[in-house]
Amino acid sequence: MVEAVRMQRWLRGIAGSLALAAIVFYAMAVVVTEGQTALIMRFGRPVRAATNAGLHWKLPWPIDQASLLDMRRRVYETGHTEMLTRDKKNIIARTFVVWRIGDPLTFAQAIGSEGGAESKLDGLLTNAAIGTLGGHDLSALVSTNPADLQVDQIESELMSSTAQVAMRSYGVAIDQIRIERIALPEENVTAVFDQMRAERRQFAARFEAEGEREASRIRSEADLEAAKIRAKGAEEEARIRGETAAQVAKAYGDAHRTNPELYRFTRSLESLDRLVTGNTTLILRTDSEPFSLLQSK
Amino acid sequence: MRKKGPPSEIGRLAAPIAHLLDAAWQRMHWWVGLMALLYLLSGITIIKSDEVAVVLRWGKLVGATPALQAHGPGLMFALPRPVDRIVRVQVKRVREISVDTLTAGAGGPDEDDSSPSSESTLNPLTQGYALTGDQNIVHLAMVARYRVRDPAEWAFYGAKSEDALRVEVTAAMVRSLGEMGVDRVLSDGRKALIATATKRAQAGLDAAHAGLELSSLELTSLSPPTALAPNFDAVQSAFIEAETAKKLAQAYAEGTIPQAQAGADLTAQQARAAGISELAAAHGAAGAFLALDKEYRANAAVVRERLYRDAVERAIVGAATVRWVPPPMGGSYKGFRITLGSGDRASRAGSSSADEDEE
Repeated sequence: MVEAVRMQRWLRGIAGSLALAAIVFYAMAVVVTEGQTALIMRFGRPVRAATNAGLHWKLPWPIDQASLLDMRRRVYETGHTEMLTRDKKNIIARTFVVWRIGDPLTFAQAIGSEGGAESKLDGLLTNAAIGTLGGHDLSALVSTNPADLQVDQIESELMSSTAQVAMRSYGVAIDQIRIERIALPEENVTAVFDQMRAERRQFAARFEAEGEREASRIRSEADLEAAKIRAKGAEEEARIRGETAAQVAKAYGDAHRTNPELYRFTRSLESLDRLVTGNTTLILRTDSEPFSLLQSK
Repeated sequence: MRKKGPPSEIGRLAAPIAHLLDAAWQRMHWWVGLMALLYLLSGITIIKSDEVAVVLRWGKLVGATPALQAHGPGLMFALPRPVDRIVRVQVKRVREISVDTLTAGAGGPDEDDSSPSSESTLNPLTQGYALTGDQNIVHLAMVARYRVRDPAEWAFYGAKSEDALRVEVTAAMVRSLGEMGVDRVLSDGRKALIATATKRAQAGLDAAHAGLELSSLELTSLSPPTALAPNFDAVQSAFIEAETAKKLAQAYAEGTIPQAQAGADLTAQQARAAGISELAAAHGAAGAFLALDKEYRANAAVVRERLYRDAVERAIVGAATVRWVPPPMGGSYKGFRITLGSGDRASRAGSSSADEDEE
């Protein structure tokens, strides 16, 4: 019994002190999650910022109050702004910025809300863009010649002309500024269209001409080649015929040299054979053979 | 606890339950202990196979480096709730957004009035487009696929994924297009364009600490303005025609040259064949002559006579007509006239003896 009572007291003691500890803890502890900052305000005036994540302490409610700020990065796109490049060309550009709260105290004092930051950034960026792009030609942004392009330089100029001001005046840290879009004013697009059309026509004409020229080159080359081949063939034929004639002559010559007299005789007989054809009329004397044989009988 | 007074009927019936409750109350510290234990174990969880978890202790990330912060799939030990908080991130899932900031008729808030102006001009606010390096205009639509690379950065410090991707991809594409000519962009440069834009977008995402990895960037459409489509098509068809003309010429060349070669080969071959047979005939004739010569040397008069008679006979048989005339009186013909078959061409045989029967 006594032991049970003691146990009861002990348990009560534990429960009571735990509850008290919890109340004190929740009144004084500030849990700052990653990506947040706690702004500690004493009687409504920001006194310090707990930027590191973890457990922080403050005085209980009526004295200190903590408000949590979102420190995540945010993307802000400016409006499309018409501006003039150094070579006096009208362009419409849009930039974006990746920003975060860099100095919570300054931010809270200068801006207060996040929407406020964006309108401040818009003005800052638009001015910077007009100033920076006014110092570069359009070819620094779009060009097929890599030596002309200066996008990195333009972006770092934008950065250097905004980052410090943003941090000092608004407590905003700028991580990145980029040109998101480059376009042309509506009234200039017509001219670009005309130029593009002319360029297309020129290309089409060039392709046609090139095609024809190439085709006729291929054809004439082929014809030339064929003629060369045919000439070579004719030459070869002549050579073969010549060789054959020589060989034939030699064969006959070798044979006929053995008996030129017989050759002359057989040759004249052959001539006779050749001369007397189907429409030859022979006139023979009756005293020549074989007719003479008939006469003598 | 309250065991005073005599046990009533109800009290007697309820005694076992009261006894049980009493016993449970007696072991209260066990119950408390058990609950405390369960509470302490409540931080243990299972991380699924496609997830990674990071632990926040009093809001602060546990682990110094991203590699130490991220816990892979499996059983995970953490402290219970107010102390530790577990944040799960699906790192393997590939997400997709379509980026249509540079798409025709999808650049701004009021798209309705895009159609009437589309013929002669473009409103940069309502119609998305980009300039190429040679200051041509193209419309394009993109799809970006991405996944979380650095869970802690993505979960706590990065900008919203969709925002960051849209602007980074657009900026990267605008810049990459600004370096290339329109003809390269619309033909063989597309792959290079995507590659440089992807690289640039990733660099931008890294600079913006988005904690994202761009796994692929796809161009779902890429075209010149509709008003200029016929002009681009004309170039395309001119190109195809030129290619066709070249192909036809090549086909002609490929036909002509072998044909000429075959012709040349044929003539040479025919000459060769003719030569062979001519030569063979010559050899045959020469052989025959030699054989005849052999015979002639043995018996010249007989051979000569035979040959002569054979020839005369052949001549007589082969001739169309044979006329026989008497021998001339006194060695010459006087007024003898021969009329040839054709009649109109007559030749007179003079005083000389007829030549036709000459030996």
